[in-house]
Amino acid sequence: MTAIGTGYDLSNSVFSPDGRNFQVEYAMKAVENGGTSIGIKCKDGIVLAVEKIINSKLLVPGTNRRIQTIDRHVGVAYSGLLPDGRRLVNIGRDEAQNYKDNYKVPISVPFLVDTIGNYVQNYTCYNSVRPFGIVGIIGGVDDNGPHLYMIEPSGTFWGYTGAATGKGRQTAKSELEKLNYEELTVHEAIKIAAKIIHQAHEDNKDKDYELEITWISKEHTNGRHELVPESLMKEAIKYAQEEDEEDEDEEMES
Amino acid sequence: MEHNPFKWGRPDDAVYGAYNHQIAEAGVNSLFPKMNTQNPIITGTSVIGIKYKDGVILAADNMGSYGSLMRFSNVERLLTIGENTVVGVSGDISDAQQLARYLDSLELQENVYDNDGENQLKAVNVHEYLTKLLYHRRSQMNPLWNALIVGGFDEAGEPFMKSVDLLGVSFSSSTLATGFGAHLAVPLLRQVIPEDKKYVDVTEEQARKVIEDCMRVLFYRDARSMDKYSMVTIKKGQELKFEKDLVVKDQNWRFAQNIRGYGNAQQ
Amino acid sequence: MSRTTVASEYSAEIQSTPIEHRFNPYSDNGGTVLGIAGKDFAVLAGDTRHVTGYNINSRYEPRVFDVGDNIVMTANGFAADGKALIDRFKNQIKWYKFNNGGKKLEMQSAARYIQQLLYGKRFFPYYVSTLIAGLDEEGRGAVYSYDPVGSYEREQCRAGGAAASLIMPFLDNQVNFKNQFIPGTDGKEKRPFEYLSLQEVIELVKDAFNSAAERHIHVGDGLEILIVTKDGVRTEYSPLKRD
Repeated sequence: MTAIGTGYDLSNSVFSPDGRNFQVEYAMKAVENGGTSIGIKCKDGIVLAVEKIINSKLLVPGTNRRIQTIDRHVGVAYSGLLPDGRRLVNIGRDEAQNYKDNYKVPISVPFLVDTIGNYVQNYTCYNSVRPFGIVGIIGGVDDNGPHLYMIEPSGTFWGYTGAATGKGRQTAKSELEKLNYEELTVHEAIKIAAKIIHQAHEDNKDKDYELEITWISKEHTNGRHELVPESLMKEAIKYAQEEDEEDEDEEMES
Repeated sequence: MEHNPFKWGRPDDAVYGAYNHQIAEAGVNSLFPKMNTQNPIITGTSVIGIKYKDGVILAADNMGSYGSLMRFSNVERLLTIGENTVVGVSGDISDAQQLARYLDSLELQENVYDNDGENQLKAVNVHEYLTKLLYHRRSQMNPLWNALIVGGFDEAGEPFMKSVDLLGVSFSSSTLATGFGAHLAVPLLRQVIPEDKKYVDVTEEQARKVIEDCMRVLFYRDARSMDKYSMVTIKKGQELKFEKDLVVKDQNWRFAQNIRGYGNAQQ
Repeated sequence: MSRTTVASEYSAEIQSTPIEHRFNPYSDNGGTVLGIAGKDFAVLAGDTRHVTGYNINSRYEPRVFDVGDNIVMTANGFAADGKALIDRFKNQIKWYKFNNGGKKLEMQSAARYIQQLLYGKRFFPYYVSTLIAGLDEEGRGAVYSYDPVGSYEREQCRAGGAAASLIMPFLDNQVNFKNQFIPGTDGKEKRPFEYLSLQEVIELVKDAFNSAAERHIHVGDGLEILIVTKDGVRTEYSPLKRD
């Protein structure tokens, strides 16, 4: 980035002469160093997973949840400045609640993401604020089936079949590209998610991590965003590590 | 034709006086008094409930009355919140629907957001919340015009049932009923549970039967009731059973023929 | 123009009297309570019947509570206000401890604080007769009683609630020996005051409540007596007439 010293990177809401908002780009930097988050859209639901970096051995295992719920049918995984993510989730919750108060039915995922996108965009327009330092992967199941979106500090959001962000995003993306999303089921995706996070962790190897996976599926969770049950989780971790060993074996042979 | 009703004009000012715009802006910065609920509009009649050894049974019919007009006949007045708590609501239906929204939002905040599945709301918690809410509203002189019965389990997992009304007055008993039910159903329920603590001797079958009997008596004698009703059975270690569109059984209207002005009996 | 106003949209309402509020924020939930202070103990008793009008809502709804710090409390009359007052006071005891290094709230301080709570709602009062009982700093039994807006006084004994007027004269006679004279003095010499034992007091309370239950329809079902001594608070329950 060549903005340093030009002054165009010091304030939000100011374009550089070549049409960039450097504060937004710096916000992306905050994301690129965070733990990896991924989302997978399957034919029967959504799977979200994060690589939870263990900053201290004193943290209680299995607590300090990272993936949050916006409404019963919508979950979010995000990488970057975690408090910014929590703020974003609160905005989403207010919006979802307000929608339900007004229209009785749960908010549709595209509409929710659109609202959040507008909100995030607003934080790129004023010099009194800074953009959100996160990329959020928002997944949900509504009347139109599963939806998966990824939203960036600029307020941009795109729909995805497989989404990844954070430090290990490149590794994760190349793995996600191999999947057949037409046929993929949530059960398969849970294992794959575990494996991808495991592989993506290679990019962040100096720190320990804990795996967190949630899912949303009409058939299996009654359309609710829930933590994946322990049995499936064990199976997934086992699968991720088996694959790992195989890879190593292959490497040894070759 | 002009489709905007506001352009149809209003009754003659000479007859009725000019429209006072402060009425519409009543409340803040207005000389006209703010108007709060002074009476219920669409109402639901009694809710009844009984504790038994393994849980609680609640029932309420599906009528929504507009004064003496039977306006709606498919109103659901039993609200579930969480896994095993049910709130039966009588009184104003619009306020009941507002309560339903409050309860849904409570469930979302306490059971869904950032919750690992532990610390689920219990009936005691829901009851305390509603009591605080209704008392707060009565203290604002803007009541939610309802009487409620909350059924479920307490912190120790034992059957729990407690009521609260529009004033924020709450009380618990093994047999509870709101409205007409307090007169007609409670005596029948207390025949099954004479002493409050003795609910542990009552079986689900006994409890269910007396609730059915009460719903029949209420249908006979409460003019604002109907014979279609819902019933929930909340039982330890089981998913709650929600039965809808039940019909009052064993109706016998032979007594009616002897009532002067109703049946064949003449002056 | 008529003085009564309805919320009509078509007249000059603004000049008329305010709209009549049909909503009455108060009700009476019956029940009666009684506190007696002894030499080194105090009791606070209440029946367990909860009513509205002629309906018995519950035959067992406790109305006397242990609020902590060896103090027992009741607020009898409009039950929702009673609950609100007691909940608020319990919460204040908690905060008193947070703010004062866990210091015990003494009876006289508790008594004054409750006055503040009651008077704070002087113009929308808690419709209750409030009593607290406990031990003072010298370990003697203490009972404080209040009117709905916080006027208070320490007394030897006090009855409150539905049957207060039935019980109070009985207490005057049996606890403070009012209108009692030493035999043989021809009504000249008053019987001097002396403390009753705990056993005597409990019997007195039971007699008072049995009599009140006999005559007053809002009293009955059960009697709960909370006894405060230096060893803490204990509860005794006995049945009352249920008719």
